[in-house]
Amino acid sequence: MNKVLMKGNEALAEGAILAGCRGFFGYPITPSSEIAEYMARKLPKIGGIFVQAESELAAINMVYGGASTGTRVMTASSGPGLSLKQEGISFISEAELPCLIVNISRGGPGLGGIQPSQGDYFQATRGGGHGDYHTMVLAPASTQEMMDFAILGYELADRYRIPVVIMAEGTLGNLMEPVIVRDEVTNFVEKPWAISGCQGRKPNIVNTLHLTAEELEGRNRHLFSKYEDIQMNEKRAETFMVEDADIVVVAFGLLARVIKRSVIDARKHGVKAGLIRPMTLWPFPDEHIKAVTDTCKVILSMEISMGQMIQDIRLAAEGRVPVEFYGRIGFLPNPEELTREILAVAERKGL
Amino acid sequence: MGSLAIFAGGFGSGKSEVAVNFAIDMAKRSQKTILADLDLVNPFFASRDAKEKLINKNVRLVAPGGKLAFGDVPNLPTEIIALMKQDNDMLIDLAGDEVGSLVIGYLSKLVIGRGNYEFYLVINPYRPFAGELESIKELRQLLEKAGLIKFTGIISNPNMVEETNLDLVLKGHRRVVEFAGELELPVKYLTVEERVYNCLPHEYHNIAKIIELYLRPGWLLGSGGGM
Repeated sequence: MNKVLMKGNEALAEGAILAGCRGFFGYPITPSSEIAEYMARKLPKIGGIFVQAESELAAINMVYGGASTGTRVMTASSGPGLSLKQEGISFISEAELPCLIVNISRGGPGLGGIQPSQGDYFQATRGGGHGDYHTMVLAPASTQEMMDFAILGYELADRYRIPVVIMAEGTLGNLMEPVIVRDEVTNFVEKPWAISGCQGRKPNIVNTLHLTAEELEGRNRHLFSKYEDIQMNEKRAETFMVEDADIVVVAFGLLARVIKRSVIDARKHGVKAGLIRPMTLWPFPDEHIKAVTDTCKVILSMEISMGQMIQDIRLAAEGRVPVEFYGRIGFLPNPEELTREILAVAERKGL
Repeated sequence: MGSLAIFAGGFGSGKSEVAVNFAIDMAKRSQKTILADLDLVNPFFASRDAKEKLINKNVRLVAPGGKLAFGDVPNLPTEIIALMKQDNDMLIDLAGDEVGSLVIGYLSKLVIGRGNYEFYLVINPYRPFAGELESIKELRQLLEKAGLIKFTGIISNPNMVEETNLDLVLKGHRRVVEFAGELELPVKYLTVEERVYNCLPHEYHNIAKIIELYLRPGWLLGSGGGM
């Protein structure tokens, strides 16, 4: 077992390489830049391509081009960069090209700050660019998961021909932890759609322009039948002590890991708390939420934002239990603060 | 002129943690201990995070402050120039990798002007790239060329944070000793947490130095790697 001490960003980059990523196109931005640095150092040595593009727009369109050849490619950025990339992501989604898009999140809106944030939840889970589409969104909570989700991300991207977004707080990107380095991926799916030279076959065409209303509607219906399959098969969440919980906290990313501590601490204070950690933000694991509405008395959404995921939780809970909120901006709160908040909500609800 | 110790190393080698510990140690002997956090690369988990603790231990911290602590712009605290010319015991936490070379290049004359200095290369062989001699050689050349000063020794800092144990420390340290041979530099310290120090074989006690993890978030300690 090969263990290395890695930053989250490095683990993600290494995971992508192990998964066969051979093209990185990006423009640096804190707190994501270590991914580009790692790729710049490693990709050229293993026959890959690293390009620091002239802008985020250029970078995402290089991903568009690279992905259309069937090569596993990626980009990484943070909030402001992701905003610039949305047009390209819309195109890639419609062209059904697999790729990995990483958002090591910082606080917005605007230039905001480089402190940790989860405020890009809406942007990531609602498509983010123009038109009717979704990307899959994975939310790792540890340095190990940064590596593992990069590998999983490519697998899902290829299987469904969809861009996969990995979203992690800046703190997780920079947190060092021991990581078990996984084996290199050797199984790849066939990509008969790829633009890879058309000797002996008809040319493949990647195009997102649909001139007739019928064709356009047909494309949208096609995409949404795919999204239904994804929603059916790919929702992922981790649950912790929810079976007998009166108060169920829902949180994702590194924040969820801090809350695990608070759940244990709240129980020491006599409050039966539990935790649901969505690992896929889209598709959102609504069944996991629905399942606890029969047994818990209140759900508490904790986010590093002004409250975004809470909307998905409320939709999933269907009004069966109240959904409360606690959020910070630019801080990863410590377990003591989060425990205090869980206890305060419990007291308000008479638990 | 007092002492000067400069801590350099690959990105994430643990140099900030080591520098903070050496500074706190120095402050037990010197009333004029200064820790200069000149890490321009990345403000996450930098020496300045330990500000309160350093002040309590009588260490003066010179670092990008106030609004600029998270400014994400290359920013050297200006007072460093004056302080380098004064009589004090100075410890410098240099930025990782090639960016550190900019800083040491800038300060080069002042370092040489102080006369005596220690220039430490901090190595944790469990970090990516730090396990390869070539990467370490490259970094060394870059920093020595830019600073016009030579490294005086290596600080061996083999660790896997919470998962560190004696076996891992000894294996990692042997690796560092091998590198040191190739680099023709002495290993001056082996830095370990107290729990490891207590079970270290006697032969290591002459170079072993206990460090506390001041920059590690409390919520990680003992929580294990999982989730």
